[in-house]
Amino acid sequence: MDVKDIFSYDWSYLLPEFIILGFATILSLLDLFAGKRLGRQVIGWLSLAGVVLAMVFVFVNVNVLDKPYSYMADMIRVDDYGNAFKLLFLGGTAFAILISLSYLKKGEVTHKGEYYYLMLTGLLGAMVMASSADLITLFVGLELLSLSSYTLVGLRKRSLQSNESAFKYVVSGGIATAITLFGMSYVYGLAGTTNIYEISFRLAEAGMAGYQFLVYMAFAFLAVGLAFKISAAPNHMWAPDVYQGAPTPVTAFLAVVSKAAGFSLLFRVLLISFFNVNDGANRFFFQEGSLYLGVMAAASMIIGNTMALRQTNVKRMMAYSGIAQAGYLLVPFVPPTTLFFGEVIFYLFGYLLVSFGAFAVIMVVTREQGTEEIKGFAGLYHRSPIMAIAMSIFLLSLAGIPVTAGFFGKFYLFMGALAQENYWLAAIMIVTSVISYYYYFGIIRQMYMRPGTSEAPLAVPKGIWTLVFVLALLTVFFGAFPGLVTDYVQLHFNPSFDFGNMLPVDFQ
Amino acid sequence: MTVSITSYLMVALILFCVGLYGALTKRNAVVVLLSIELMLNAANINLIAFSKYGLYPAVAGQIFTLFSMTVAAAEVAVGLAILIALYRNKETVNVDEMNQMKR
Repeated sequence: MDVKDIFSYDWSYLLPEFIILGFATILSLLDLFAGKRLGRQVIGWLSLAGVVLAMVFVFVNVNVLDKPYSYMADMIRVDDYGNAFKLLFLGGTAFAILISLSYLKKGEVTHKGEYYYLMLTGLLGAMVMASSADLITLFVGLELLSLSSYTLVGLRKRSLQSNESAFKYVVSGGIATAITLFGMSYVYGLAGTTNIYEISFRLAEAGMAGYQFLVYMAFAFLAVGLAFKISAAPNHMWAPDVYQGAPTPVTAFLAVVSKAAGFSLLFRVLLISFFNVNDGANRFFFQEGSLYLGVMAAASMIIGNTMALRQTNVKRMMAYSGIAQAGYLLVPFVPPTTLFFGEVIFYLFGYLLVSFGAFAVIMVVTREQGTEEIKGFAGLYHRSPIMAIAMSIFLLSLAGIPVTAGFFGKFYLFMGALAQENYWLAAIMIVTSVISYYYYFGIIRQMYMRPGTSEAPLAVPKGIWTLVFVLALLTVFFGAFPGLVTDYVQLHFNPSFDFGNMLPVDFQ
Repeated sequence: MTVSITSYLMVALILFCVGLYGALTKRNAVVVLLSIELMLNAANINLIAFSKYGLYPAVAGQIFTLFSMTVAAAEVAVGLAILIALYRNKETVNVDEMNQMKR
């Protein structure tokens, strides 16, 4: 690739990133210089405006760009794969900010300005992770997201629980980063370049030249290190503690945006880099590589769903449920087919709606009850029927019961596994899903069948009420018409079945 | 006399293992953060060694190292800040005592 003048690029395709960067910078300055009289809600609304604006420009890019547009030898690459994930991140952050606007009204978090623009920098990191094809930028994006989320988790400065979970997050995140970087260093050593498209050919040569062992080792290091961000086994142990200690909107942010960003990075790096590695007859990726990820998926599903059974704290339970969801999401990757991209995007879309809805309800209930125990949900139906019904819809969707978006997400993944004749993984998916009904229905049982401590109507902030109502409606709507999303994804992001034109032309 | 690539890789691997061992077993939170730095620097040694003796020697490895050092510095800054916040609430740097949350 020849060197181009930096001004000869059309930078307008990067507008979403620039908008987020600009808003984060300006809002941090505003927070610094606008004395105490400025309500920090303003910063929240402004950052929401920035996110929505960036979303508009991503939609513009989706409609304008037919081919991927690459900056500086794929340091940043605007393609459909990245755009689809970016829409998820932006939507997720918008919901997180909406929940935060209500959460921050009570003074647990003292640094409100920081809270909002750290969320924006985290979002920027996620967007870079989704739209880069170079190890250096991918690594920097990953760390931008990580560092922002470490701080966000610890922002309840006076709460020991929050401090502690932030510290655990930093330590386990640091170890995972080091493992990822170590894996990347082997990949670089074998390929001599950081561009993953060149890596993919050079690694194949290295594999043929007798360096298979190093190739496999690099794969294992990368898979384990990146499993951290998606909270999949074997790197899942941080999730329960961090989810419990973090402010609830941040928990939702971690559960959706950070996890989706991890998936975008994991899929792109592992798939492209190791795609061509083969032993002459079989591609490594579709044999051993897939098996490795399959074992990770199975372990996450089993650990997540069984450990969730014995949780009494609702946020810890959601963390284990999130580990299980990460397991489900790895299933279509074992081995990847042309349909995997659509399946993953739809599943993440459903998961986004449901998680934010569930965490919004959890936030209201735990605040009001002053406890995060599942018992706090007792009698919710009598106190606020709408909240109880909405929460039931979200939980049914997480469990994968029909007429919810979660059902079709899981159904597509399951059918994909069957089509690949991946019967063992499909079986584990079904069995662990059945196990998961127990703890999801545990909350539903509390809401409808157990008497609460009081019968007084639950005071739900208007914003949260609207958000929960809309999300519940959307969950049911897309459960009834999943085709609207899958067709949109197919038409705009994946028309030629090349994973959102992530694969270059000369692949196959 | 030139040193072969194997020696560099061995040093890096040993450093990585020492770091991982330290991060997983040490009680003092500051030492845990230090051990993580060791692991990151092990990766840096790898990158530098590969940028001269790798299969395709190229300068990209050294650039990567600059980025990873910067990131490591930022990470330890955040880690220490969080540790100080923790220390203010509970006067300890012993990771065994950070057990507020139940299993």
